[in-house]
Amino acid sequence: MDDGNAKLLNVDGLVTGYGKKQVVNGVGLDVEPGEIVALIGHNGAGKSTLLKAIFGLLPVWEGSVFLDGKQLESPTPRELLRFGVAFVPQGNRVFTDLSVRENLEMGGVTLRDKRELNEGIERVFTLFPAIKPRLRQRAGTLSGGEKQMLALANALVLNPRVLLLDEPSLGLAPPLVSEALGRIREIAEDKRVAVLIVEQKVREVLRIAQRVYVLRNGLVSFSGLSESLTDEATLREVYL
Amino acid sequence: MQLTLNVLVAASTLALMAVGFGLIFSTTRFFHFAHAVVYTGAAYLTYCGSVQLGLPLVIAVLLGVAGGVCLGGLMEVGLYRPMRGRSASALTLLIASLGTYVVLQNLVSMTWGDDVRMLQSSTVREGIEILGGRITPTSVLAIAVCVALLAVVTLVLRRTGLGRAMRAVADDAELARIRGIRADRVILATFAIGSALAAVAGILVALDVNMRPTMGMNALMLAIVAVIIGGVSSIGGIALGSLFLAAAQQVAIWQLGSQWQDAVAFAILLVFLLARPQGLFGKPLRKVAV
Repeated sequence: MDDGNAKLLNVDGLVTGYGKKQVVNGVGLDVEPGEIVALIGHNGAGKSTLLKAIFGLLPVWEGSVFLDGKQLESPTPRELLRFGVAFVPQGNRVFTDLSVRENLEMGGVTLRDKRELNEGIERVFTLFPAIKPRLRQRAGTLSGGEKQMLALANALVLNPRVLLLDEPSLGLAPPLVSEALGRIREIAEDKRVAVLIVEQKVREVLRIAQRVYVLRNGLVSFSGLSESLTDEATLREVYL
Repeated sequence: MQLTLNVLVAASTLALMAVGFGLIFSTTRFFHFAHAVVYTGAAYLTYCGSVQLGLPLVIAVLLGVAGGVCLGGLMEVGLYRPMRGRSASALTLLIASLGTYVVLQNLVSMTWGDDVRMLQSSTVREGIEILGGRITPTSVLAIAVCVALLAVVTLVLRRTGLGRAMRAVADDAELARIRGIRADRVILATFAIGSALAAVAGILVALDVNMRPTMGMNALMLAIVAVIIGGVSSIGGIALGSLFLAAAQQVAIWQLGSQWQDAVAFAILLVFLLARPQGLFGKPLRKVAV
């Protein structure tokens, strides 16, 4: 894949699934720095499964994942984190029994250098000042919106180059949804992070994404610029 | 006073067993019944080293603890980990664990026989007198070791990176992997620590009283009751649960006779399961967050 203009994240012909059940049937996609790419589709289309396989949480049966043009042999989350890929799973999960500070430390647990970790945590405070007064609080006592912030903040401690987000709006009150998505856009633009985002709130995510892939039955059924889907009729056609 | 001393002695080894079991349960979410044979095995290994091979007692004890840690670690690496890899349910793991227990307990029986064995063959000792009660030096040692080990484990959990990782895996194992924690290693460390506690408990009981091949399961059953009373997730809770259970049992022995001690323990278990299943200090066991 050394074609000179390698994408930051490139997925080629990826096949994966759970146990013996194949869910993703050969998907290719790519994301570049500073770009937000939306992955949409119905329940069971394979969006979350695809993200998990990219991040090494599920085995890749066929196909490959390239980072900066380099193929990953059998990716593990640890390896991807070291490269600068962070994953925020569905449900804004945080370690509920750990303090907010410990959660952030876990976000940078793959960093070998303690100073880097502290810098990472400080950097997160500038993005999410609301977190700072809550450091000693148990993360389980945070509100839904605060948990979402912490989940995202955790992934940013590493200063990632690629961010994989699985439905960050899930369970958020409507006013918080656009706030969260707006923040994701800021992160992508300011830090030149490549963002691959799975979202059910299609209209909202199309507003922040430059490009979009529609997944159906584990295959890409449409891919193109977000603008091409902003009018109702086309969206209905490719999505329904 | 004698009653208080008896309670403390019984509670200390019980708490070691219970905390070990609780640590393993909270990180892996299944009932590690073979924990019982770590307790028994460590006692018999010490017996083998000290009485049969004639090694100094300290060396034999270290051998017993090391053996217990290896045994627990081997079960995790050789049995539970491959089963988890095939996404075995908690029930499957429980049954495998029970099977392992039966096999290994019989192995102990075959090797050393079913008779009661003693580590210290000396005649019944007087014991020292403290505030009107009598206590053997070994019992004093047991209490001291228990307090020290529980303090160490608490510090490890609260203050070290390993402890934080253990709590994270117990909280949400998949999220821990997503953060880059090698969960398998953390679980192995948990088994090692838990097994060390069980081994020490088994050896202390063997030193103070005696040993028989079934000692582990009796101890484990009580430990499980103590864990349920105390609430799975806190060491302090489990320690208090052990204290409470030991107190209830000693009172039962005193008032009703020793044949009632287990009946009382399980009556308490039933009361807790019906009235307060999360334990005195625990939180309700969560399901995976949606």
